Amino acid sequence: MAAPTVPAIDPVTLAVPFFILAIVLEILLARFGKVKAVYEAKDTATSLLMGFGSGIAGLLTGGVVFAASVWVYNYRLFDIPMSAAWAWLAIFLLEDLTYYWFHRLSHERRFWWAAHVNHHTSQHYNLATALRQTWTGGAAGTWALWLPLSLLGFPPAMIAIQKGISLVFQFWIHTEAVRRLPVWVEALFNTPSHHRVHHARNPRYLDSNYAGILIIWDRMFGTFVPELDEEPCRYGVVKNLGDFNIFRVAFHEWVGIFSDLLTAKSLREALGYLFGAPGWSPDGSRQTSTMLKAQWAEMQTAEPVKTDPAAAS
Amino acid sequence: MTLKYIITQLVTLAIVGGIMGLVAWVKIPRATPPLDEAEVKRRLAEDFPQTPLDQIWLALDGRGAVARSGDLALLLFRLGDSYVSRSMAWSQALQAEAIKGRFCFKFNDFAAPKASLALAPNWAKAAMGETI
Repeated sequence: MAAPTVPAIDPVTLAVPFFILAIVLEILLARFGKVKAVYEAKDTATSLLMGFGSGIAGLLTGGVVFAASVWVYNYRLFDIPMSAAWAWLAIFLLEDLTYYWFHRLSHERRFWWAAHVNHHTSQHYNLATALRQTWTGGAAGTWALWLPLSLLGFPPAMIAIQKGISLVFQFWIHTEAVRRLPVWVEALFNTPSHHRVHHARNPRYLDSNYAGILIIWDRMFGTFVPELDEEPCRYGVVKNLGDFNIFRVAFHEWVGIFSDLLTAKSLREALGYLFGAPGWSPDGSRQTSTMLKAQWAEMQTAEPVKTDPAAAS
Repeated sequence: MTLKYIITQLVTLAIVGGIMGLVAWVKIPRATPPLDEAEVKRRLAEDFPQTPLDQIWLALDGRGAVARSGDLALLLFRLGDSYVSRSMAWSQALQAEAIKGRFCFKFNDFAAPKASLALAPNWAKAAMGETI
């Protein structure tokens, strides 16, 4: 019997009522001073409308993604059964590893950052921020990173379900309401604390904690940065947006790339603007994350910040 | 496009509207007291580290400021309960037009096209008289 290509369940659709209830609960608990959460009306509206638009944009490219997965699956190396427990453990680990590299690429190369940046444009960090999703991710083609899983022999339906599980997991970590979880959880999983760092624009925290579900990948590949109590996260992007226009949120980096390409004087410059680190410029007049971190480190050497090693562990 | 899909989208929009209404009703944004010079310095130091400030002009409503750093103007302006900063040439900042008591600073930046600050009407004149 052929393995299913269309998932029997969609974890994201199933989780939508949970998303809504969780957001309402976070708002109400914050209102009555029970948890820490900050909501600003226009910022929340922007996040929710970006989430709404993302669903529509996903529909436009979903067919291509699905067709590509099925096409690659036809050339699979192995037949991996959806009914085997080991197969689910394998897809859990491999999908999460794929997500790590997708996410890292989406931060460290401008072409893919242009598709992902919108998720980071809020200066708030709450459950509504989680829904500030991309409109251009499908067009940017990062879904191709998951195709090797189809080639290995994981049924497209299985990959889709695991991607959905990962997305649902990542919803609840967008909160300031949860401070720290037990040590073993923080060691193994992506948590609100780890992901707050990921959304922070403090130089110390830039380009870190790319994990989806397991934080072990960041620890393995050297991108893990712990949240420090003495340095609260400042959320947003290095250069925050000037208004709440959702089209600006969705397309500003693409417009920036296009404007830069018009000024490129050589193929090298054009490629740098497209695939260099965000902030790359031919003359170094702009700052990349690496440059910002180096500048920050230099300032720390000149005037060390008092840090509590215990809090960092 | 099926009727089911359209209904789903309409229900989603209604829920989005409901949450937006709830947020507007409960009012839990950050506190945003009027800016003072110390706060402007602190915020600009975050966005423009190692950039010394020569002079600061606070907006009359406390919702922003202009600072001079040599040939650069550093602007800080309110967005919701947060702040956004940008820089521009000082000479260009001095040419900002006043419309209904607010000075409009235009940036060559699609991500933040402009900032509108309620500065004192004579701020540019006073700024030009400053000695660096």
